[in-house]
Amino acid sequence: MSNAPHELLVVDDLSTTFTTMGGPLPAVANVSFTLARNETIGIVGESGSGKTVLSRTIMGLQPRSNVTVTGSVLLNGNQMVGASEAAKRALWGKEVAMVFQDPMTSLNPVMRVGKQIDESLRVRLGMNKHDAKARAIELFELVGIPSPAQRYMAYPGQLSGGMRQRVVIAIALAGSPNLLMADEPTTGLDVTIQAQILNLLDDLKERLEMSVVLVTHDLGVVATRTSRIVVMYAGRIVESGSTRDVFNHHRMPYTRALLDSSPKVSNASHTRLVTIPGRPPNLLKLTAGCSFAPRCTFATDKCHTERPELQAADEPEHAFACWNPLPTNTERGS
Amino acid sequence: MIRYVIRRILMLIGIVFIISVGSFYLIHLLPGNITTIIEGPGASPANQAKLYKLLGLDRPIYEQYFVWLGNVLHGNLGTSFISQESVASTIRAALPIDLEMIFISQILAFATAIPMAMRSARKPDGIVDRIFGAGSFTLLSVPPFIVIILLVLFISIKLGIPHTGVSTYVSFSSDWIANLESMALPSITLAIGSFVVYFRVLRSDLIATLQEEFITMARSKGISQRRIMWRHAFRPSSVALLGAAGVNIGGLLAGGFVVQFLLAIPGLGYTLIAAINQNDYLLVQGIVFVVSVGVVLINFIFDFIINIVDPRISRE
Repeated sequence: MSNAPHELLVVDDLSTTFTTMGGPLPAVANVSFTLARNETIGIVGESGSGKTVLSRTIMGLQPRSNVTVTGSVLLNGNQMVGASEAAKRALWGKEVAMVFQDPMTSLNPVMRVGKQIDESLRVRLGMNKHDAKARAIELFELVGIPSPAQRYMAYPGQLSGGMRQRVVIAIALAGSPNLLMADEPTTGLDVTIQAQILNLLDDLKERLEMSVVLVTHDLGVVATRTSRIVVMYAGRIVESGSTRDVFNHHRMPYTRALLDSSPKVSNASHTRLVTIPGRPPNLLKLTAGCSFAPRCTFATDKCHTERPELQAADEPEHAFACWNPLPTNTERGS
Repeated sequence: MIRYVIRRILMLIGIVFIISVGSFYLIHLLPGNITTIIEGPGASPANQAKLYKLLGLDRPIYEQYFVWLGNVLHGNLGTSFISQESVASTIRAALPIDLEMIFISQILAFATAIPMAMRSARKPDGIVDRIFGAGSFTLLSVPPFIVIILLVLFISIKLGIPHTGVSTYVSFSSDWIANLESMALPSITLAIGSFVVYFRVLRSDLIATLQEEFITMARSKGISQRRIMWRHAFRPSSVALLGAAGVNIGGLLAGGFVVQFLLAIPGLGYTLIAAINQNDYLLVQGIVFVVSVGVVLINFIFDFIINIVDPRISRE
């Protein structure tokens, strides 16, 4: 499936560094991965691990000042790194679109939602007013907005969070993009709505033959919806592989810690949730060693002084960055 | 929205009522007997008593108020003791000058402040923003009377564009070129003061708005920078601008006298100063009443515009 010609997105050695008062801040460092057509990849990590910056850098949506991007992002053959704003603008909406994290802030509060989707259809696709409205209502219907013709006239403030996120998705779909970047698409929503939105994205991906980059801190979200997972910590990939391998054969202690800290239905009621001690490192004060070392129970002296590079695991396409990896299942004797 | 407008109109009526009481009472704050002022110090007590009765001053004050209010509602603000002219017609002659001056100055101020604020906000602390910022701060610290002197020096004298006095002032309808020539200096002076406020308010709001997530989202749709600025950033950033404009325009109506006095433009401010100098109390009362109602009306109109611009306000 993922042989070269099928790859929609090739990210190679991508780094994003912000220039701050405290010095350079490496928000994303040396990230590489590929995404095939009609595939969903999950990017997982806790807050501050660089996942949002990564997804924006892939799109070329990073701020225009005080930021340096190196490496390469090939999106359907188009180089996004260093591309002019005009060149990127030509791809935005049509080749790649983004579903933003918080539908409370990602819609313009003083513009009717119809107008906001209309903008994509008329300005970007050159539709006339009448066709654009018909198409907008069609898209609203596609994303499951009830009485779409009435909602078309609503201001964002008159819609619920779930409805707003559906509007955001409809806007993202307006230009029929090949790649949909979903940046924590359910974080701002009620738990009951989260599953609906995720299922909708899944369904749309199949129907519209898109590829999806699903960014989340919640491993439960990516478990059944992605074919592969990239685990990020402090701006770097610490483990990547097929979803099955990352869940069942993970080698990096951070991945284990993330899995352990997700609540499980099988746990008895009132089970205290396992947490990862400590906090993500200050990216301005990174040490030469593994950035997870200060919080890692397996850390040795080497971990604090030398950074482990990604190395291949036993399974194909499975890689991890750790000096003291967890034992494989065979080593564990199971 | 409709409920909001009705509430505001009721408030407006209340405020105008309070203003009318205040304006009416103004004349009663005068020291001494008004008949002495009218007839002069040498008047006989019998004549004074006659005039007192003629003016209705022997009747209770609330009755006097309602008679006065009835007249005001019919557009009758009384007749000046000094010039023997109707106060209403004096105001009717002066008011259009104020309105024209404010109108031109606001067009100039908005036409410069909006594009400059947008240019500044695009790259905060960039070189253009710094130049604009320093320039606007300089203008902010120069008082209007200095601005006027400089404008007279550079525009009127060096360029030879005449600025007229009270006696040579012509209305827009009779000779619009001459009218605009005499309006140029006062309008530019007022525009400078307004521009500084509008530029600074809009710039800082635009900078804040441009950091909002919905701007990034608009960018991700692939629409142009210009469109993002005008369609997405400008409207939500203009609430404070409109609020400032309401207060500012009201201030120009009430406080245009410095400019009018220095440049001898016969608007309301100039007329007011002259009336005060001549002890023309009824004219002062009329102008105070008209200007106060005008300020309230302007603020009402701007509140209304703000509600259309940002529908979140009346919903809350």
